[in-house]
Amino acid sequence: MSRSNQMFGDNAFDLLKDLKRSAQTIPAFDDDGVRQVLEEIKAIFEENVAQASSYNNSGDRSLWPLLNYRHAALQRNKRCLLAYLYERMQRIKAMRWEFGPIIPSDIKQALCDPEVQFFNNYSKSLASYMRSVGDGQGIDLTGNLRPPKSLYIEVRCVENYGKFELDDGEVVHLKKNSQHYLPRAQVEPLVRQGILQHIA
Amino acid sequence: MSDSENLEQALNEHDLSTEAALADVNEDDDEDEDAEPITAQKVLDILETAWTNEMCAPELLQHQTDMLELMLSQVAHMEEQMKDLDKNDFRFVVHQMELERIRYIMASYLRCRLQKIEAFTQHIINQDETRDAADKRLSSEEAKYAQDFAQHVDEYFTKVATRYMPNQQRGEAEQRIVAPNLMSHVFLKANVAVSGVIVGVDDEEVDLTPGSQHIIPYQLVADLVQKNQAQLI
Repeated sequence: MSRSNQMFGDNAFDLLKDLKRSAQTIPAFDDDGVRQVLEEIKAIFEENVAQASSYNNSGDRSLWPLLNYRHAALQRNKRCLLAYLYERMQRIKAMRWEFGPIIPSDIKQALCDPEVQFFNNYSKSLASYMRSVGDGQGIDLTGNLRPPKSLYIEVRCVENYGKFELDDGEVVHLKKNSQHYLPRAQVEPLVRQGILQHIA
Repeated sequence: MSDSENLEQALNEHDLSTEAALADVNEDDDEDEDAEPITAQKVLDILETAWTNEMCAPELLQHQTDMLELMLSQVAHMEEQMKDLDKNDFRFVVHQMELERIRYIMASYLRCRLQKIEAFTQHIINQDETRDAADKRLSSEEAKYAQDFAQHVDEYFTKVATRYMPNQQRGEAEQRIVAPNLMSHVFLKANVAVSGVIVGVDDEEVDLTPGSQHIIPYQLVADLVQKNQAQLI
């Protein structure tokens, strides 16, 4: 290989390290990194194929260690790459639970097309599962995330939301910086979206 | 404890409807055992045990669709009843709270199962294929969800990476199967006396007395949990 100080697998390992270090919900999809790893895999594979055929012709056993070494590097690259994708997938899944079925636009920029597609598929099958549970009655599993401590909670409005109708028909005006004492079950989604803030 | 007593009372008022519902379920399943009268409290107990077991066990346990459906209709029923109650009545608050708790348990239980299904998708699907229809671990909805999920993950991996890899390197999907660690330790409480449980590699035996608690690798007691002779805590 022409690159002097670089070992096989370094690119793949960098992918993982970057992902782990990033503090964002999900960093931008590393198109270049992934392509480099894929190219490396391909290059190693081709070298191995070439050498394997020359081994078949010559029967030169001294090539064995090199073949094995390349194979191991190949496996490692593959594993790192898939781990990278898997970890991103976990974060995408977590987003479905956190933000609901629509990806916030700032996060959407960080995803690549197949990832957006995966999110939509995941979201759809989760929704249809939740609808079908319990003999067609359906349960919203994304609610009731924390054990209930009290029926009502005190919340403060972080932004202007406007009118909010409760189950019993009562209408509350959610104005910025106003405080309310509302049923927890009904305002939980708003708290998760960051419109309301739960105060002790 | 007044909460739960209150609930018990409230729930017992509706025992009759629950029994009817259960009879329905039994008919559907063609079970030949007698339809034992089951109270709503009992259903809740079963669900609670199933929930704690599921939370603690490393692998996916038997699904509880019947119990869950009973409880759901019970909750709907109670909500209906509570509409007639005065909102400022003390009982209203207590009942509402209890309903919230039940709902949390059910949601948390199903969520926990989904997490396991997502983590060990292929392993669980493979295992369930070898089981008889009667003791499948996945409910039919969960089975569909698992299939869908496996397919979506595969699609995603293929699109981003594996299709760019050399042919011989693509397969090996079986390498990617993740299985739970069944030998991880769990906390266990015995419900009934069980004698001669083998613990450890050197065939050491232990007798469990009712109510006693132990820390033990899961696999050694998996069948006890399955038969409800012991429960995880």
